[in-house]
Amino acid sequence: MQSEAQVKFQKEANLRKNAESSEALAKDKAISLEEKFNHLSGSIERERKHLNNELSQFKKESKLSVSRIKADLERMECRAYSAENESELLKQQSEDLRVQLDECRRQKNEAERKILCFSSSSNDVNSSEALILVKHLQEELRNFESEVQEARMLKSSHESNELMQVKLLEEKGRRERVESELLKLQEVQLSVEKLEDELMTWRSMINEIPGVSCSDDIRRKFAALQAEVIQNMMKNGEVTAQLKEIEVVLEATELGKQYAESEAKLAKEKAEQSMSEVKRLELLLSSVNEEKDRLRKDANAGKTQRNVEPEAEKKSDTFIQELEDALAKKECSITELESQLCEYKEVISRQHGEIKLLTERLSNEARRLKSLERESDQLRSEISLLESKLGHGDFSAASTKVLRMVNTLAVDNEAKQTIETLRTELQKTKEKLQAVQELKVQSADAGNLIDSNISEKLAQLKAQIATLEKREERYKTVFAEKISVFRRACCSLFGYKIVMDDRQRSDGIPVTRFILQSLYAQTDDEKLEFEYESGNTNILGNDYASQPEISRQVEIFIRKMNSIPAFTANLTMESFNRRTLS
Amino acid sequence: MASKNTTKDIITLRGSSAIVSEFFGYAANSILYNRGVYPEESFVKVKKYGLPMLLTEDENVKSFITNLTAQLSEWLEAGKLQRIVLVIMSKSTGEVLERWNFSIETDKEAVEKGVSREKSDKEIMREIQAIMRQIASSITYLPCLDEQCVFDVLAYTDNDVEVPFTWIESDPKLIANPQMVKLHAFDTKIHKVDTLVSYKNDEWDEE
Repeated sequence: MQSEAQVKFQKEANLRKNAESSEALAKDKAISLEEKFNHLSGSIERERKHLNNELSQFKKESKLSVSRIKADLERMECRAYSAENESELLKQQSEDLRVQLDECRRQKNEAERKILCFSSSSNDVNSSEALILVKHLQEELRNFESEVQEARMLKSSHESNELMQVKLLEEKGRRERVESELLKLQEVQLSVEKLEDELMTWRSMINEIPGVSCSDDIRRKFAALQAEVIQNMMKNGEVTAQLKEIEVVLEATELGKQYAESEAKLAKEKAEQSMSEVKRLELLLSSVNEEKDRLRKDANAGKTQRNVEPEAEKKSDTFIQELEDALAKKECSITELESQLCEYKEVISRQHGEIKLLTERLSNEARRLKSLERESDQLRSEISLLESKLGHGDFSAASTKVLRMVNTLAVDNEAKQTIETLRTELQKTKEKLQAVQELKVQSADAGNLIDSNISEKLAQLKAQIATLEKREERYKTVFAEKISVFRRACCSLFGYKIVMDDRQRSDGIPVTRFILQSLYAQTDDEKLEFEYESGNTNILGNDYASQPEISRQVEIFIRKMNSIPAFTANLTMESFNRRTLS
Repeated sequence: MASKNTTKDIITLRGSSAIVSEFFGYAANSILYNRGVYPEESFVKVKKYGLPMLLTEDENVKSFITNLTAQLSEWLEAGKLQRIVLVIMSKSTGEVLERWNFSIETDKEAVEKGVSREKSDKEIMREIQAIMRQIASSITYLPCLDEQCVFDVLAYTDNDVEVPFTWIESDPKLIANPQMVKLHAFDTKIHKVDTLVSYKNDEWDEE
């Protein structure tokens, strides 16, 4: 019963372990899902915001430009229509005027001819009349000239009308562009809708996660799950410890098993030995029995002989006696041997029992061994699972902190690139502006519109550049502040004011020169100069360094001991002592 | 036979820290070169670990790595560094594409009691050489980085570490459901460094 219960218990334990492992797997999955979700929700949120911003901007821009362009268009159309009508009218007028002009010219010619006739025929008679006529004619002529001017004006307006038509075409092109942008806007709206759908699915997924009603709950839940994971890790540690213990026990039992096996072998050998001895004894017994039979036969033969030969009776009697004695002895030895045989048999049966017991123990141990191996496999798989988690980059926040080295490489590059792109954009805009200004000369109205558009954009870009430049300035000031703090700290900690400058050697290799001046220097000339180039620092000779006392120290500390810090420290101590003593 | 007779070198905590931080400097350079984070022409060849290694000539990157290794060796000497991660991200989206993970196990006795250990320099160099070879050959299985990338270095330290001036606390920049390849490890007997690269799962492979 107990063994059954144990088996059941073991089964239950196995089941529990399986359940635990599946739970751990599920948790793992949950963690990965959470990360995915966080990542996705973050990116979606960002993208959505970005798109929303863009969309609203687009919307505003497009609405503005559409309405502006529509108004423009209508105005232009009206104007064009009216201009067309006007031009038609003017054409008619000019046609009439031309006819009139022709008529006038003809009349004028006629008049001139008449005047000539008059002048030739009656120069004196009708001179006063003719003068009046001439005046009249001149007046008419002036009238006609003014009319001609009017006609010219009409013609120029006709030309401007054609220009307006060209502009109209341009505006139409713009309208088309705006329409295409509107199409794009629709696409953007579609993508926004798609993103919103996605967001909805994520929300529904949040709803599907049990015990979670909002995103804050997820965090709490995942915190709980993480705590559980940590617990499980601890459990895992315990389990590995158990595993180790079990392995130790396993090794002990294996040793025991080997020992038992060798004992069993020995016992078997012993049993075989005793069997062979038993056989030997049986053989001995049979031979003794044979001898006994033979002796009996001899005795019987002796008796019959006694009957035949009475004189030999005495002899034979002693012989018989002897034989009987020998017989008795033999019987005695037989019983002894039989008892010995019994003893051996007992020993053998005992040993058989012992062997049975040992084999039973052996099979028990083998069973235990198998179960332990199963357990160790399970634990190994668990360990590999945890190791993979570790490889993924997980860590326990209780004992570990993740730090990031401030990487200004990308930031610098990005800022530079942004400034560069903004600059090119500005250049382009300037060019555009110039083109527009040229156009503006031709058409003041349309030009104004474009100008306002571009100036708006320009202002935007300028503002962007200004903020970026401000940021750069701020970085620079922060950096300068930090550097000065660092320098002052270095000075007060190590006792040297450090001045650094970059220069090029005569062979073109860039080197950095450091000039150190001790806090305890008594004159301004007490300066040490060092050159730093790709990890190597060398002292440079100058007046101060070539003083015998200093050059001796340079020789000892730098050249022999290869330690600049020891040299500077020693110098600091000496300067300090000199200063305080003096 | 001769190698058996060579005496083992004494490794101190300081020496071990120097080996590990130097290794990380070279490894970072090699990764930046092999993964094409910086242009090929900005690197020069030098000989190290019995191999031709590439070092950047870009002044900014150079000073970045120098400052980095200096800080790392400081932490290593204090036994406070658990892991270093070189993260490669997309420049445009900031998405993490690769994580080069160097886990470090420090011998506690060496830190607390100043015990030194014995291991031949040659053997350590051989182990590092194997890792460098694996980094160089990683281009055969890692997915192509088609876009412009930037890198970042994360250090997993003990909680009681004071955050230095040029460092800030950060998120671990994990990759969701990554592929992982374990590389060789090396051991100075004071620091054991395990190398592992995890990278973004290529969606095309799953189909």
